[in-house]
Amino acid sequence: MDEFQEILQDFLIESFELIEQLDHDLVELESTPEDLELLNGIFRVAHTVKGASSFLNFDVLTHLTHHMEDVLNKARHGDLLITPDVMDVILESVDLMKALLETIRDTSADSGIDVADCVAKLDKCSGGDGKVDTPVVVETPVVKEVSEVVEVEAEDEDELDYDSMDADEIEAEIERLLNTRQEEDKAKRAAKIASGEAVPSAPSVIDETPKEESKPQETPKEEPKPTPTQAPVPVKPTSAPSKDTKDDAKAAAPVKKAPAPVEQTIRVDVKRLDHLMNLIGELVLAKNRLIKINDDVEERYEGEEFLEELNQVVSIVSLVTTDLQIAVMKTRMLPIGKVFNKFPRMIRDLTRELNKQIELEISGEDTELDKSIVEVIGDPLVHIIRNSCDHGIEMPADRVAAGKEEMGTIKLKAYNEGNAIVIQIDDDGKGLDADMLKNKSLEKGIITEKEADSMSDKEAFTLIFKPGFSTAAQVTNVSGRGVGMDVVKTNIEKLNGIIDIESEIGVGTSLKLKIPLTLAIIQALLVGVQEEHYAIPLASVLETVRISQDEIYTVENRSVMRLRDEVLSLVHIGDIFEVERILDSSEHAYVVVLGLGSSKLGLIVDTLIGQEEIVIKSLGEYLKGIEGIAGATIRGDGGVTLIVDVAALMQMARGVKASVVNEVNNSAKLTNEKSKASDYKVMIVDDSKTDRMIMRKALEPLGITLVEANDGQEALNTLKSGEHNFDAMLIDIEMPRMDGYSLAGEIKKYNKYKNLPLIAVTSRTGKADRMRGVESGMVEYITKPYSADYLSSVVQRNVNFKSEFL
Amino acid sequence: MSDKLKQIINKQNQKATEEVDHSDEIVQLVGFIIGEEEYAVPILSIQEIIKPIGWTRVPQTPQYILGVFNLRGSVIPLIDLRVKFGLSAKNHNEETRFFVLKQGDEVAGFVIDRLTMAIRINKGDIGPAPDTIDSDDSMIEGVGKQEGRILTILKVNKLLERDF
Repeated sequence: MDEFQEILQDFLIESFELIEQLDHDLVELESTPEDLELLNGIFRVAHTVKGASSFLNFDVLTHLTHHMEDVLNKARHGDLLITPDVMDVILESVDLMKALLETIRDTSADSGIDVADCVAKLDKCSGGDGKVDTPVVVETPVVKEVSEVVEVEAEDEDELDYDSMDADEIEAEIERLLNTRQEEDKAKRAAKIASGEAVPSAPSVIDETPKEESKPQETPKEEPKPTPTQAPVPVKPTSAPSKDTKDDAKAAAPVKKAPAPVEQTIRVDVKRLDHLMNLIGELVLAKNRLIKINDDVEERYEGEEFLEELNQVVSIVSLVTTDLQIAVMKTRMLPIGKVFNKFPRMIRDLTRELNKQIELEISGEDTELDKSIVEVIGDPLVHIIRNSCDHGIEMPADRVAAGKEEMGTIKLKAYNEGNAIVIQIDDDGKGLDADMLKNKSLEKGIITEKEADSMSDKEAFTLIFKPGFSTAAQVTNVSGRGVGMDVVKTNIEKLNGIIDIESEIGVGTSLKLKIPLTLAIIQALLVGVQEEHYAIPLASVLETVRISQDEIYTVENRSVMRLRDEVLSLVHIGDIFEVERILDSSEHAYVVVLGLGSSKLGLIVDTLIGQEEIVIKSLGEYLKGIEGIAGATIRGDGGVTLIVDVAALMQMARGVKASVVNEVNNSAKLTNEKSKASDYKVMIVDDSKTDRMIMRKALEPLGITLVEANDGQEALNTLKSGEHNFDAMLIDIEMPRMDGYSLAGEIKKYNKYKNLPLIAVTSRTGKADRMRGVESGMVEYITKPYSADYLSSVVQRNVNFKSEFL
Repeated sequence: MSDKLKQIINKQNQKATEEVDHSDEIVQLVGFIIGEEEYAVPILSIQEIIKPIGWTRVPQTPQYILGVFNLRGSVIPLIDLRVKFGLSAKNHNEETRFFVLKQGDEVAGFVIDRLTMAIRINKGDIGPAPDTIDSDDSMIEGVGKQEGRILTILKVNKLLERDF
């Protein structure tokens, strides 16, 4: 039973794969009915499914596919012309086949679907010339045919072309009887690949057939064929023409003979690949960390010999990690053709339904995308293409009137662009009418009149993505519900993708979907605001500009700036993420121009840190769905950096009013009223305990509160903790971890410490030292040794010590 | 051989079952202090207890969510229990710890003021939460009494439940 299940699973997976290809091939066949290679391929599918299903006792499916096979076989030998009507029947049968397979998948049985009707139609197609009369059950009739064939061959020459066909049947039967199913499964995979190899042989066979038809007397050529057919081992020669049918199971030799390289594949559970991808993600994080440590070590041990070696190792590790990451990503890549394949069929059905003439041109179907993206991209594309067919391409008569060709064209192409893949859908239809779109949206209350007025054409085009929007006068089978394009937008944005529309009235519309190659690891721009960092997916970053504060204007309570010819609305990242403004904002700011589809936004940040490859991690169940945050990543220093959700951010930006730059510069003067001497607080920063003691001794008589710190870092932490409000700081210059100059520099970055007096107490007496002290923001410079009185008086002066406390 | 052997085996079996029974009545908890009160959570719900490390603020969240931190490659939310329990925030000191609690797939870190000890307590010594507290919504599993002190035992699933 288990074994059966296993075979069944294999059969289903394989059949669905084959059918996917089938749709595509069939439509192509309709346009090039004489393409024998295609026909052979299609025939093979029907044949394969028939063979396997009969083995698995799916009688209904066998019955259906057998009749399909008949029709296709006729076509293959030129007895039947593939007209659209015939194609309709074939397509219908393919649909039935799909339905049957789905039933089998769900119930492990193929009952419940009536195929009689379709079979009858198929018979009508194939039954025209009677030879292959609709066998109801596969087995017996075909066996009969075997003998028939032999006879036929012996007597009739004008029916010659049938023998090759019947030979196929025989061969199929023998195969079936030989119960080579399991082997076949393997073989089929090989055959699929080898079909490239089988192709060369096909034309030669087929070449024969027409020749035979036209000159039946040319017997020598076909002589070798009939003779062995009669023998008990007829398979061998006949297998020559039908090699393409997938007989490789029996004959390993043909495969070896084949010059084409046999591609070897393994089916791997996606979960394993996901796991692998996660591990690589961890590795990338570790690599980033290693690089960071390497930099630190380099700084610390400059010139040491081992650095060279460390450098080499680090660069090799990072190189290999990157390669490894690409390699693993590739294992998850699927050609986008997997998605594209279903469109020819769709277009065909649509053209018949809509009575339009539309041609689909596909290119770049080999372009590869991450599996998870391929899965999501299908639906949006269906909607876009349906839309193009229904709204884009005009009726043939209208097209002629407009001086265009009767046949409309939709071009579907995919190509790589940097770290993204672009899927472009062009049609040469009537194009989008910006005014009409605006009017419709007004009617439906999607936009206000004011919005409509200020809308550019390009912005108007994006109205088609609004939920509830539809230009169709009535809801048809194809479109008009106003749902489709909304789905497109949400799906694409989910993938961090960008949609771009270009359109010209009367000429056509072009839609570009730009999607990142993979979802797990992305390139990001790291920005800083105050003391926080955020990562912005690079795919949404158009450019960055440095501006000065006076380039920012306020229009209707919103900040804007002029960027070349455009007016760009601005929002401060700190306003969106409620960042406390503790650091002094500088004269200049950086604007990160974000683009999502045709909407743009300038995001003001304090600093640009750089571009980095980041691994997206979820914030977990507890914090999921935080507006504006798409996830988090772990940086080289082990810290967590949040990733900005650009789409949400743009939404949020609309609600943020322009507090942006014109923030009140409330110089946080620490004018706490002092009521006693101990209200004054002074911090002593010195690494020497003795020195701190000396200062303490000198200041204690004043009765003020003294707090000590060992070095700059500690002093900064104490200051930032906000536990004390200091009135002055005494700072030694030479200290471990952070020296006095750096400490002063750090302190002066904060708005509220602008007016905090910093007094240097040092044994450095050089003029240059004094200058540096002033530059870093020190107000006084006391050189050691000093008298207690002098120190006391300097401190008193700087903290405005009230003499009455003395 | 066997009488003696059987006896021994029986004895051992008995002992084993006794032990199981015994441990069934004992609940193992870890106690900690927030503000003035002592709280406890079941020891098995604790993934680990670490000293404070750096975290990253997450915007658009309530006050008591400090942000997220990196625990060996996982991004984990950090919740300040002081603030959550309505006390004012306090600077972290030497005794501050991060409690990493786990239940199923949900993991979160909680900032506590100070650890007390691992506690073994008889089930019988755990009383229900006071009647005045609505038992479904409450974060309190029960109240344990031991040697004159009172422990508030918290519901881990409630702690890990997002309530904003």
